[in-house]
Amino acid sequence: MAEVVLEKVSHRYPGAQSDTFSNVDLVIKQGEAHALLGSSGAGKTTILNLLSGLARPSAGRIFFDGLDVTGASPRKRNVAQVFQFPVLYASLSVQENLSFPLRNQGWRGARLSARVADIAERLELTGCLKRRPDALSLFEKQLVAIGRALVRPEIDLVLLDEPLTAVEPATKWQLRRVLKQAQEELNATMVYVTHDQTEALTFADRISVLHEGKLLQTGTPADLYQHPAYEHVAYFIGSPGMNLIPGEVLDGVYRLDGCAIAPAPGLSPGPCVIGFRPEWAEVTTEGTEGPMVTVTRTRVLGTRGNRPVGIVSVDLNGQSISTRQTLDVVVGASARLKVGRDRVVGFREGIRLGSEAAHA
Amino acid sequence: MRRRTNRAWLGVLPVVLVVAFSAVLPLMTVVNYSLQDIFDTNTRIFVGFDWYRETLRDPRFLDALLRQFTFSATVLAIEIPLGILVAKSLPRTGARTGMFLILLAVPLLIPWNVVGTIWQLFARPDIGLFGASLTALGLDFNYTSDVLDAWITLVLMDVWHWTSLVALLSFAGLASIQEPYYQAAEIDGASRWQVFRYVELPRLRSVLTIAVLLRLMDSLMIYTEPFVLTGGGPGNSTTFLSQYLTTMAVSQFDLGPAAAFSVLYFLLILLLCWLFYTSVMRSAED
Repeated sequence: MAEVVLEKVSHRYPGAQSDTFSNVDLVIKQGEAHALLGSSGAGKTTILNLLSGLARPSAGRIFFDGLDVTGASPRKRNVAQVFQFPVLYASLSVQENLSFPLRNQGWRGARLSARVADIAERLELTGCLKRRPDALSLFEKQLVAIGRALVRPEIDLVLLDEPLTAVEPATKWQLRRVLKQAQEELNATMVYVTHDQTEALTFADRISVLHEGKLLQTGTPADLYQHPAYEHVAYFIGSPGMNLIPGEVLDGVYRLDGCAIAPAPGLSPGPCVIGFRPEWAEVTTEGTEGPMVTVTRTRVLGTRGNRPVGIVSVDLNGQSISTRQTLDVVVGASARLKVGRDRVVGFREGIRLGSEAAHA
Repeated sequence: MRRRTNRAWLGVLPVVLVVAFSAVLPLMTVVNYSLQDIFDTNTRIFVGFDWYRETLRDPRFLDALLRQFTFSATVLAIEIPLGILVAKSLPRTGARTGMFLILLAVPLLIPWNVVGTIWQLFARPDIGLFGASLTALGLDFNYTSDVLDAWITLVLMDVWHWTSLVALLSFAGLASIQEPYYQAAEIDGASRWQVFRYVELPRLRSVLTIAVLLRLMDSLMIYTEPFVLTGGGPGNSTTFLSQYLTTMAVSQFDLGPAAAFSVLYFLLILLLCWLFYTSVMRSAED
């Protein structure tokens, strides 16, 4: 397993007018499960192809453990890949499928069968080693494909291209659990491409958010959730997403609908987008501070103590805002919106106020 | 509650009639003929399986049968690998692909007797481009007098005529293989042979089954092209089953033996195709 470094990597498809992405700097740590998160067209799969060697960067360099592999072909790179749908050798049994990459590296005999048995055991495939791929469910097939990717012990990097797409929703969590467990036990460096933020948040140690050919932000799930550097990251991560409401900064204070809601020390005055997570805010009929809102909808998600908790949707001058709280307000009521003072983030032109990106 | 009736059978009646008049009745007529000695329309004698015995002992029939197998095996052994090779060397996408596919389809669109005529001229040692070129190289090539030359010309003609079919079918099979299968093989360190053996060949299995079946049946029934090109000669060296049958039924008017021959011929093709198909299907299940 290796540490993977992308240094100022750009890519442009032949004949294209502009780069698919440009100047991407990224460090994927040894043994890390790293997710590339973005909607389709963000450049995720292209980065994956650059890592596997199926595509070459038009500029920049790629290192595996300090070794420059920018120009190396896939077979020289020591990577493995799992695709969106299970890619197996149809005429070979599960055992032969798992052995295939090892055989090509000269493994034979007891050493080979022991390694294959070990991987099959970890992926709960021992029962179907003798079977052909046609006899397997989609779920089992994808497990075999994952097994084939993990079977070479000295593999530098395992790439997963939306590996749960083809699997039925009911078995997705199970496949993810087995995959995550194998990743931790084998200490595999993994890059996991997905457009599903839930998948990324639950699987990855760190996430890189891509948008329109730019790597916006890399960080732990908690980092991205609480300190998004870009409006797009704030919007993309979390369900329901962050509230992003037009407001302003005036005299070092965030103002929403004219009301001061949180301090904004040292930030230049002017209009901005004010962001806060649903659980950072509360709608209440008590008090006289905070913007006036109208409750439009409540949705129960569970109970805390004896009181129902869930999502409250309110209307502020035509803008919809969600909060996560105890459901002690009724639809149609006028109420006050209160936001946790330290948690509010502001964005101007999509970039977080006061962040490194804003200074750049 | 609806009443149950058997009226649905009326729905399949047209198909039953078409099949009966186009296949079953003619075949039964032939079976009927094969059991009788026919002198004229009013005089016929039931002879049982005599014609079958006679046909199976007829050295000319057995020679034609051997030639037929040799020919079919030879053209299949060339056309199938060559067709796959052509399909693999075609560009998978792009403007040129369409042009290549059209060019490949051209031999398939030419009427069979015209194919025979083209090759009859092409291979002539005096004025044909192919034959005259060989003559110019100092080779004594003459397909009308030399048995080997006649066979070479026939096999070349069949390969020219039918390899396209195998190539087009294989191309369709190869085109259905998605890119990740190749990428995975590349990442797994597979050699070019392994890519063919484990990625492409399993995917080509069904189209190749069809290709082999079609070519096997067609080559067993070949008539027009050798009839035009060599007329079965020199001697009987290129007389295949269908031509011998035609000679017997049309020129000599031996209806009984010809009918017995037809039934044997039909059963032979049926048997070979069944053997091939079941063996392919059985190995697919393993």
